[in-house]
Order: sequence, then C-alpha cells, then structure tokens
Amino acid sequence: MKRIVLRPDYCIGCRSCEAACRSRFKGEARIRHGEVTADALLPQGCRHCDEPLCAAACPFQVIVKNPDTGVVRKSDFHCVGCRSCALACPFGVIQPGLVRHMSQKCTLCSDRPEGPRCVQTCPTGALQFIEEEQMTEKKAGVAFAVRSVHGRRL
Amino acid sequence: MTEPTRTTCPFCLNGCTSGVEFNGVEHKMHYFTDAEVNLGRLCPRGNSANIVLDHRERLCRPLLDGRDTTWSEAEALIKLWLSEVKPEELGIVYSRGRAADEVRRLHGLAQELGTPNLACGHIEPENAFNHRLEGVSDAALADIESSKAMLLVGDVFSTSPVASWRMLDARYRDRKNRLVVVDSIRTRQAGFAHAFIQVKPGTEPFALMAMAALIDARAVPGVDVDRLAGLAGVTRQQLGAAAAMLGPSVPGFVGSAMHTGRVHHPALHSLASQLLAKAGAKPFVGFRETELPFGPMRFSDLRRAMAEGRIKVLFWTGGLFPFSYGELLPETAKVEHLIATSIFKPDPPVAGLVLPMTAELERASVGRSYWGSIERSPLAAPLSGTRPFDRVLELFGKAEEAADFTAKAASIADAVKMAARAADLTYAGGDWLLVGEKKAIGLRGFHDPEDEVSVNRADAARLGVSGRNYLQVRSPTAEREFRVRVIDGVPSGVLLVGTNVHSNRCLFPLAEDELTGDVTVPPVGVTVEKTERVPVAGGENLSVWA
Repeated sequence: MKRIVLRPDYCIGCRSCEAACRSRFKGEARIRHGEVTADALLPQGCRHCDEPLCAAACPFQVIVKNPDTGVVRKSDFHCVGCRSCALACPFGVIQPGLVRHMSQKCTLCSDRPEGPRCVQTCPTGALQFIEEEQMTEKKAGVAFAVRSVHGRRL
Repeated sequence: MTEPTRTTCPFCLNGCTSGVEFNGVEHKMHYFTDAEVNLGRLCPRGNSANIVLDHRERLCRPLLDGRDTTWSEAEALIKLWLSEVKPEELGIVYSRGRAADEVRRLHGLAQELGTPNLACGHIEPENAFNHRLEGVSDAALADIESSKAMLLVGDVFSTSPVASWRMLDARYRDRKNRLVVVDSIRTRQAGFAHAFIQVKPGTEPFALMAMAALIDARAVPGVDVDRLAGLAGVTRQQLGAAAAMLGPSVPGFVGSAMHTGRVHHPALHSLASQLLAKAGAKPFVGFRETELPFGPMRFSDLRRAMAEGRIKVLFWTGGLFPFSYGELLPETAKVEHLIATSIFKPDPPVAGLVLPMTAELERASVGRSYWGSIERSPLAAPLSGTRPFDRVLELFGKAEEAADFTAKAASIADAVKMAARAADLTYAGGDWLLVGEKKAIGLRGFHDPEDEVSVNRADAARLGVSGRNYLQVRSPTAEREFRVRVIDGVPSGVLLVGTNVHSNRCLFPLAEDELTGDVTVPPVGVTVEKTERVPVAGGENLSVWA
C-alpha cells in the first residue's frame, strides 16, 4: 500500500500541495495546513487510518476503506453533508464543505495514474508517495521527524 | 483531452516548465517530469495557470468607462485622443506582464510618437535588482548545486519556491555546508539556516555591508562595522560568525529577494547584497517575479506630471490589472483620457478605455530566467475577443523595436555613499510597523485571501487578542480587518501581512526612495484596534485557510 509521506526537513511551507489539490478539485482543497512549530507550516492530509473513525461515524456508510489499496474513500453522491466525519476525524483534516455542503476528503488521487497531484507538484520533494514498507527503510532521522511532527504517517 | 502543451512558467524567473491539457471545457495542469529546472514541480503560482486561462473574470471585450464597446470604436477613440494632444502630453507606462521584446517595441512607439514620457510602472522593490554592482557575476544552476556556503537575503523560498529544492539539497548534502539567512522576519526559510541574522525591518543593507567589511575590509573601505551593526539591531559577533561561513575560499552564492512593504531602500538593498557577493567572491542572483528595465523617464517623475495635469493621455499596459495601488487612481483621474490593457475585468471599474489583452500564457515570448535565456510558447489559444500586444500597439502607430535598455551600473563607492545617506531610518504613522510578506500562494487571492495579520505572542497579549480575534489595521491610505495569527518570528511592534491581494497592497503608501528617486513601497506605521467581531470557533492559532 502506497502512502503520502512528508519529509518536514524539506517542507518550506509554500502550500503548493494545497494549491494543486484545490485546482484539481474545483476550488475545494482536501489538504490543509497547520502550524506545527513556531516557524513550520506543514501540510496535513488524510492518514487513511487502519481503523478509520470517519467511516465508523458516518450514518450512511458512504465512507469505506478499500482493503486492497488501503484508501479510505467517500462517495460524494450519497453524502448528505451531516459533518459527522469531520467531527470524528482525530486529526481534524476532514473539512465540511461550505459550498456543496459535503465534506472533503483525500482519495490519494487513486484515479490519477501519475499518483497524487500534491506529491507531483511539491517544489522541494518534501511530499513523497511511497510503499508503506519503504517508510521504515528511510533513514532514522526522517522517520523520527515524521513521527514527531505528525504523531504518525501523513 | 488534447495533448498537453508545454511552456515556461511566466509567474517568476525560475524558468519552470509547465503545461496544460484541455478537455473541451476547461484546462488542467500537466507536469513535465523531464524538465531540467523543476522536474515537473510547480509552486502555487505555477499551479494557477489553468485558473488564469479559465477565469470567469477574464476581459474579452473593450470597456469604455466600465461599459462594453467594440474594437473599432476603441481604435477611433485612440486616434481621436492622440490627435488632440501634443507628444509631450502623452504618457506611457509598462509594468508586470510585458516581456522584454514588448518593452523594446514600446520604446520604439514612444520614439515614433515623439514622447519622452515612457516609464516602468513596476513599482515592486525587486525591480531595483536592475541596479548592478560592477564586477559581480550572475549565479548559474551549477553554482547552486555545488554550493558549500549560501547567503539568502529576504525570503527567497517564498519568492521562488521551486528554486529552493536545489538550495536545500546543497544544504543537506554535506554537514559542513552552510546556509546563512538575513531577514527581518523569522520565516520558514530561516528555520533551515545555520546562522540567522534577524535585523530591524528595512535595515538589511547595513548588516550586509558590515558582513562584507568583516569578510574583506579592503572591499568596503571606510565602513564602521559597529555602527552598521547597531543600525541593523545586531551585534558584531553575530555578523562575524556569519561572515566566517561565507569566506572567499568556499564556493557558494548570494541570493537576494525583496518584498513589497519589507524594504526601505531597494537600490541600496540590491547593491549591498551584491557588495557582499563581491567581498565573498561569490556569484549573485536577485530572485524576482519579472525583469523589467527602467524606462527613459522615472515613474516618480511621470507620476508627478500626472498629478500636475501635464499628461493628457495615459497609455498604461500592465499585467493582471492596470493598477496595483489605489493611490494611483486619483492621479490617473487627472488624466483626460486613460487607455489601459488588462487580462481581467478591472475591479472597481476604471474611467477610460480598457483593452482586453491576450494573457502571457497565451502568447509566445522570449526573455531571461535566473539561469539563462528562455523561450515561451503559447499554453492555450488566445481568448476570443482579446488581441496580442503587437496588434494593440498598431492602434497607436508604427512601433519598431528599439535598442535594449541597459542595467544601471554602480560602484562600491556609490553603495557606501547611499548607506551613509540612508542611516537615519524612521517611520512615520502609527505606533505599529506594518511589514509585507511575500507568499507564492497569494497570487491574486486565487488560493489565499490573505486576510490574516501575524503578530508575536507578547504583542498579542498586549493587544488582548488571540488567534480567534480580529484586528482593524489602519494605515494612512487604507484600512482592513484581519484575523489574528500568532507566530513567534515577527519582531516586537511589527505586524505582518501578505502583499499579493490588492486590498493589502493599498495599506502601503507609495513613497519615493530618496537615494534614487524611484517609487517604492516601504513598511508603514499603522494603528490597530481589536474589533468587536465575534471570535471564530476553534482553538488558539488555528491557522487553516482551506
């Protein structure tokens, strides 16, 4: 299973990932930014949790985790905009949409052969799309930084 | 879906390759991963190319006093207005969005029409990189890649985000490699630095000249290092430690960026950065969004002529909008007939004739990037109803391409004299100093409305606000309500706002750089007041824009 990983020591906080995501999803970005330390503005996206609380909270089961790819997807067609998922998300990365009254959630751009658009556009290569196993192979410094900043994978 | 078109991104001078594909309804970005400069990566500005192409506010019919008109009527009006005035009563201003070849053509047009009133209206401080110090070479991509000692002045990473990955790679390649940052704000870029010199806003040139003297005293004769350090609000020891990293024996480069509302004396800032590059025997690169030569006339002089009613017809050809600063509106109102070009509908509407121009992304042009010459091909077909620049100029007359303008050369003695004259730096206005912040994501407010003002924790406590409150900021020229963002990198007594959106730019009054006479946009004294607006829900410092 491939995941988006952030190397904080390469992130310059330019929010290009957010701009690219917003451009792809017609003005509704599915990645947001938060101040993690005093001078670090880092992207925060869906972690595609092993046990997604958003899916558990959804009263209509429109959020489903694909067991093969690990991607947690939401069906916009069936979403009623109740915001339960946004409230349940422990990382606060699901945003209630104010225009279409539907919450916005990262899909890892699974319909895009080149991979997630945010990763492709990241100016410094801070965002990477790698296999979950590779995450542990990365040098200790980076892995520690990812854990310490985000608590777990991005 | 059409085959992706490929061009060089026009939104800064890094020379990134970008592309779009068209699905019959809208354009979508395409990333060319084989591009040498950017490997397909793009900053928020570059990612906005498709937004510009498909924007609903694009201008596609000429406007006369805010109402639709036709090209033939526009042509007749231009001919009539030009026939009514003497050549010296015609003013021509060019700003961001015009390519070098177009500026040469404008020069030719001015000569043909017999007017000396041709000025560069690109009043961003970055234009002062046209002042070049003798004997300083331009940095190449290879210089960045092989750097072992880098000095960045201002927020280079925000000006050209895609250029930053090579610098970060160089910084991490070897533990001995060094990055020094000089800036008045502790930005994200400063977090990567081995030595960060936080100076008082607008005093970067003093710190840079002192560092140059510490590297090589002969390079900057007659400079009192302690006094310069005092003016910048730093110590000699701090500067000495940074200067030791930048010695002539270590390969590297000096990069400098200037932002609206952050720099007090742009020409001095540019020359001091180059002076340090010369003392440290390093190449130099001025990071900026566009490269426009100074015109034969200074914009400040043309502005004065407009205010005094000596200009009857003004032709303003700019980038996204004829005017970035509201202050210019009263002056242009004194002009009898205004002719402007724009790719977006002017908001608010302007009195006069506004001609729809083909966007930069829709035409071929040649120019220069930081790293060499570039050619741009059209990313999309021109919007129906717009005209390319050549055809707009035909409405005025014959426009042969004139010779290129040259950069203004200066010597070390000139820079030292400038520094001596600039030593008495004071800010009029309110108790708080409003400083500008450059963010690539703020382009025209496409992605970020820039409605936040940053203050440090102590100042937030003094004002009795937190990340949930709002502040009304009043400058001599405008006022705007901002949501508070509490961060530690802002000096005490300073407020930091983005300067991409026009409502924020209007807070900064235009000023004249007393050293050169160029129009500039320095930091400004403002007053602030906590507003009664209901605090937003959520935790402290919830800095989420989406």
